[in-house]
Amino acid sequence: MLEIQNLHVSIEEDGTEILKGLNLKVGKGEVHAIMGPNGSGKSTLASVLAGKDGYEITAGSVIFDGADLLEMEADLRAREGLFLAFQYPIELPGVSMANFLKQAVTSVREHQGKETLSAGDLLKLMKEKAALVHLDPSLKSRSVNEGFSGGEKKRNEIFQLAMLDPKFAILDETDSGLDIDALRIVADGVNSLRSPSRSFLVITHYQRLLDYIVPDFVHVLMNGRIVMTGGKELALELEEKGYDWIKDETALLA
Amino acid sequence: MSIVATEQNQSAIDRLSKQFDDLVGSKSDGQESSWIQSRRQAMQAFIQAGFPKKRSESYKYTPVSKWIEKHSHFANEAPSSLFAQSGPLPPLSAPDSKGKSGDSQSAGNRATKAASTSWKSKSGVEIHTQDGHISGSVVGNVPTGLTVCSLKEASLKHPQLFSAYLSKAVVLDRDPFAALATAFAEDGLFIHASESVVTDEVISIHHDGLRSESFVQPRVLIVAEKGASIQVVEHFPHLNAGRTFENRVAEIFVAAEARIDHVLMVERAEEALFVNSLFVYQGEKSYFRTNTITLGGGLVRHNLNFLPNAEECETHLHGLYVAKGYAHVDNHTLVDHAKPNCFSNEMFKGIVTDQATGVFNGKVLVRQDAQKTNAYQSSKCIVLDRGARTYAKPELEIYADDVKCSHGATTGELDEDAIFYLRARGISKDAAKMLLLEAFARDVVDLIAAEGVRNYLYDRLHHLLSVTK
Repeated sequence: MLEIQNLHVSIEEDGTEILKGLNLKVGKGEVHAIMGPNGSGKSTLASVLAGKDGYEITAGSVIFDGADLLEMEADLRAREGLFLAFQYPIELPGVSMANFLKQAVTSVREHQGKETLSAGDLLKLMKEKAALVHLDPSLKSRSVNEGFSGGEKKRNEIFQLAMLDPKFAILDETDSGLDIDALRIVADGVNSLRSPSRSFLVITHYQRLLDYIVPDFVHVLMNGRIVMTGGKELALELEEKGYDWIKDETALLA
Repeated sequence: MSIVATEQNQSAIDRLSKQFDDLVGSKSDGQESSWIQSRRQAMQAFIQAGFPKKRSESYKYTPVSKWIEKHSHFANEAPSSLFAQSGPLPPLSAPDSKGKSGDSQSAGNRATKAASTSWKSKSGVEIHTQDGHISGSVVGNVPTGLTVCSLKEASLKHPQLFSAYLSKAVVLDRDPFAALATAFAEDGLFIHASESVVTDEVISIHHDGLRSESFVQPRVLIVAEKGASIQVVEHFPHLNAGRTFENRVAEIFVAAEARIDHVLMVERAEEALFVNSLFVYQGEKSYFRTNTITLGGGLVRHNLNFLPNAEECETHLHGLYVAKGYAHVDNHTLVDHAKPNCFSNEMFKGIVTDQATGVFNGKVLVRQDAQKTNAYQSSKCIVLDRGARTYAKPELEIYADDVKCSHGATTGELDEDAIFYLRARGISKDAAKMLLLEAFARDVVDLIAAEGVRNYLYDRLHHLLSVTK
């Protein structure tokens, strides 16, 4: 589904290299977790995959479902079935959820050759998917994320994920700022969206989220590279020992 | 170049002065009506001030002398045609009308209006104007106690009301254009709601008749007596009328416990010079709201003056402008709080693109007596193009010590993070920008009470912004 090879990324503004030869392969229907200390490049990876401006790709490639992802504009990536759940969802005053979702769903479905939903069907879909993450359906008349609580914002991201039905979803620190109840709601929502045709890349700082969204693989990202890969038990080990022992181990290897 | 402009402006002033004398006589015969007397005073004030000079503080960012020069043909118009009554008019001699004189031979030379530039209200009172004066009859059911007629008619039929209000709000030395319009206006519109007349019917004024290359100076007087409540919507649609120069002055009186909801929409052509001087005078516990929307015109200047001159007045002053091409839109506001316990809220929003310019100058004056004033002001502008310019100058002048006042002015581009968020959901870059711009502008339109007007403006904004990029 997604294959990243030797990816080198710098910040456009000052040339600082963040990703330094990252390799990652995510198969269809798999759930991969990426963990790592602050500043290791986790969010940069999410941003680069989603097509955010401000980064320079100096080397490497990303193949998404057989196509060159890096050649695509951000909106095309989304229409091709890539989804990023933002760590910090943006507030859009004056843009109603209903209008926002209508435009997003319509452009994605149109691109994928699916039939356009009628206003009634779209509303029905919104109601159904909002229920997955316990969002009040009255949110459709509210402005996107404006006045939403931290938890509502994160649930809103998963709600949008459900609406857009992507092939590949990146969750960028979706657990940050959530209390345990909200975390469970978000995780339940994600779990209900797991399917053999949808892959996930779960970026997180803490192991906690992975108690609920159980990954197939866990990768450790440090200093711009994947330095270790394991099963779900690796997350527990990290929780217990921290990241320092990996630093030592990889230093030994180097 | 500025010397040439100044000379040309001076000659324009001389010609205007002569025209004025031709109109009303060079000397008073001692028997003149108070209206003529006030016009003479206004002319004096104008001659003294002249057109705003380049260095004039209140026209610092608005090159009005350049425009006067460009429209200098205006002062050549013979007074008889300048202030003619409604109906078809003979062609005018426009010295440099770029070979358009052929058109001017056509029937009445009435400007043509593009389709879709107006809205239909389901009910209410409807008036059309030709060169600023009522043309045709008032359409719709005029509620009892509401008077809608020309100023001339009002001066004859309601002389007491007329003389009680006319020229009582306009401040002649506030702006030379206001003085000029006060001097020249021979007629205009009179809207009067008697005590306790409350109506939801919208009074729509369609300023949709304007001769090509014409110079008009109409006058508007709107009065809501004690406890009355009315809605007035004025629309200046896009007209193919070339270099028109409209200089209008409007006085609005909101008596104690009365309420006026006012909307003004300007969509004139790119060569049009449009100056609007508004003076609002409020009585105790009155409510006034205006939405000043500018979506077209070449140079548009709004002088908006508010005098909540009694306690517990509420004043809402909203504005929106979209300036494209070489347009220049200037909103110049003054809220003069003289009495205690008043509330005013001012919000202006602008979108400026291409080579256009947006100017906002908002002054809030809180006089010593005006304790417990709550006065808020905000100005937000989005600049879409490197060639576009904006100037914002908020001014707070406070002499009372127990007040709450705030102001904020921001200018910036569209938020890149917001655009990215929308694109990450599959929405194209253009559609994302459009969505954000519409949301930004709708904020102001949402505050308009009349639903038909709101919907009309949503459509117009959608159209304007989608061709913006």
